[in-house]
Amino acid sequence: MAIQVSGITKRFNDFTALDSVDLEVKSGELLALLGPSGSGKTTLLRIMAGLESPDGGGLLLNGEEALGLKPRDRQVGFVFQHYALFRHMTVFDNVAFGLKVRPRGERPGSAEIKRRVTELLELVQLSPFAGRYPAQLSGGQRQRVALARALAIEPKVLLLDEPFGALDAKVRKELRRWLRKLHDDIHITSVFVTHDQEEALELADRVVVMNQGRIEQIGTPAEVYDHPASAFVYEFLGQVNRFDCTVEGGIARVGDGALAIPAQGGVQGPAVAYVRPHDLGVTPASAGPARISGIHVVGPDARIDIDLAGLTLEAEMDRERLATLGIVAGDRCAIHIDRARVFAR
Amino acid sequence: MVAAADSDSTLAGKGGAVTVRAPVPLFRKPSVLPGFGLTLGFTLSYLSCIVLVPLAALIVRSSGLGWSGFWSAVTTPRVLAAFEVSFGLSFAAALTNALFGFLVAWVLVRYDFPGKRLVDALVDLPFALPTAVAGIALSALYAPNGWLGKPLNELFGLKVAFTPLGIAIALTFIGLPFVVRTVQPILQDLPPEEEEAAASLGASRLQTFRSVILPAILPALVTGFALSFARGVGEYGSVIFIAGNMPGLTEILPLLIVIKLEQYDYAGAAAVGTAMLAVSFVMLLILNLLQHWMRSRHAR
Repeated sequence: MAIQVSGITKRFNDFTALDSVDLEVKSGELLALLGPSGSGKTTLLRIMAGLESPDGGGLLLNGEEALGLKPRDRQVGFVFQHYALFRHMTVFDNVAFGLKVRPRGERPGSAEIKRRVTELLELVQLSPFAGRYPAQLSGGQRQRVALARALAIEPKVLLLDEPFGALDAKVRKELRRWLRKLHDDIHITSVFVTHDQEEALELADRVVVMNQGRIEQIGTPAEVYDHPASAFVYEFLGQVNRFDCTVEGGIARVGDGALAIPAQGGVQGPAVAYVRPHDLGVTPASAGPARISGIHVVGPDARIDIDLAGLTLEAEMDRERLATLGIVAGDRCAIHIDRARVFAR
Repeated sequence: MVAAADSDSTLAGKGGAVTVRAPVPLFRKPSVLPGFGLTLGFTLSYLSCIVLVPLAALIVRSSGLGWSGFWSAVTTPRVLAAFEVSFGLSFAAALTNALFGFLVAWVLVRYDFPGKRLVDALVDLPFALPTAVAGIALSALYAPNGWLGKPLNELFGLKVAFTPLGIAIALTFIGLPFVVRTVQPILQDLPPEEEEAAASLGASRLQTFRSVILPAILPALVTGFALSFARGVGEYGSVIFIAGNMPGLTEILPLLIVIKLEQYDYAGAAAVGTAMLAVSFVMLLILNLLQHWMRSRHAR
């Protein structure tokens, strides 16, 4: 494997940023560290890069002990959320920086540097911008320069800290696709940090879900989405309806019996049930227990707010289905749940 | 005739009136900020009263000498020597300040240590202290029998007070805060990510400093240098005590002007003042252009 993290712990004063974290990053994979802010994901990434030193634990980069190494000796490419380009250098000089600062013996000649930088700028599709300064580029272009700059040193590992965090939604999506394609082409072991579950699920080979300095679950995007290991993972990966319930004999009862849900997972007693909005079905029924309190149409989908004996639920369906049902706000309806996950409380 | 009548009728046909656009004032861009005329007018009159009129009076006064009289007044060996002392030593002092003032700013921004606030406040003392007090303190300290003057003289044979070196020290003292206070805020705002990026790209600390930090703070450093330099050229109080004031050797321009005034040579004093003004203006202009060039390279 390319990176092995074992028992890494990091405290900032009273705050435990990382609590004995173990993680293996396989050679050539694209791994996402996903979690809310304060979950320790960025700290873990910075420790891998040597920009932060842990209070305890071990770190192997390509099988070599790396904690004693300075950032410059780790051969790690790092991409920052806010690009961190050198403002007073042109795009060309930014990308060439890592090559120009090499010790005399290892430094390529200026013709070779020019060739490599030109090649990298072609790779990130920024050849016409070589002579510009960072301030003259858009956010997406700047982040591509930052990526080319990190790749210039031919790193063994590429670390990206919220690489799309400062970009607007459309550019973010384009750049995400582009990065995935780039990774498929060059297969460099990469770890990126994000708090956006959609980004992690779409882009990564494997997703590491973190919370409060610990790893909650590691798995492929499908695994973590379909089989969340904990209530936190379920709640973090997408929209949810959450019910406090009591499970008896495979049936979860919500409140005073207003809703009965088939419970999977062999939990007994007090529990929490989660239902994704698209797993919540709605049928119009004049004597139904629930009431539609609002309908919001978002692009091709419709989100429906439902009031069930004081609980506010959210259902999601496409607009065609909504039109077929013919429901409007204020109608009474019945709800049925196709799939629910129950975790012990 | 016909053509004229035609054009008249077209004008009348377009509503009878030709809309005349208000003349667009030169240099003025449309802006949502009100009060351009008022504030510019006030600024110009204020600057005229405080700066331009006195300076103009100085030039008018010296013009009484005529061109040849002016030239001979400012090219006497004594005046030329004073020029060398004043500008040369101010330059040296400003250079020293640029280096060590930067170091002070660096330490104050980058490190935490007990008493940091105190040191930070100490930096401003040369601003607050009456310059004559500083001059007396410095000359007592560096005099041949002073605390520092004595060991320096005995150990290294170095005479400080009453030599050009003494003047340079006094000018360094009064110029230090200018560099520290201009560099400090820039250093404070420097994003740490750029340095981290340089480190992860394989740069040593020295390379990071040279190619990432220095270019970012150079404009501020030049400003601090210019301020310190300008202050040094005009400094009087702290220098005359430590200088010894030997004509041709340790006599500064401001002192020479005072001497000329005491001898009722008002026109001569004004002539030296005018020449000083011209040299200072040119040097500050060059420094400003240098800065403009540095900023325009990347602050787009």
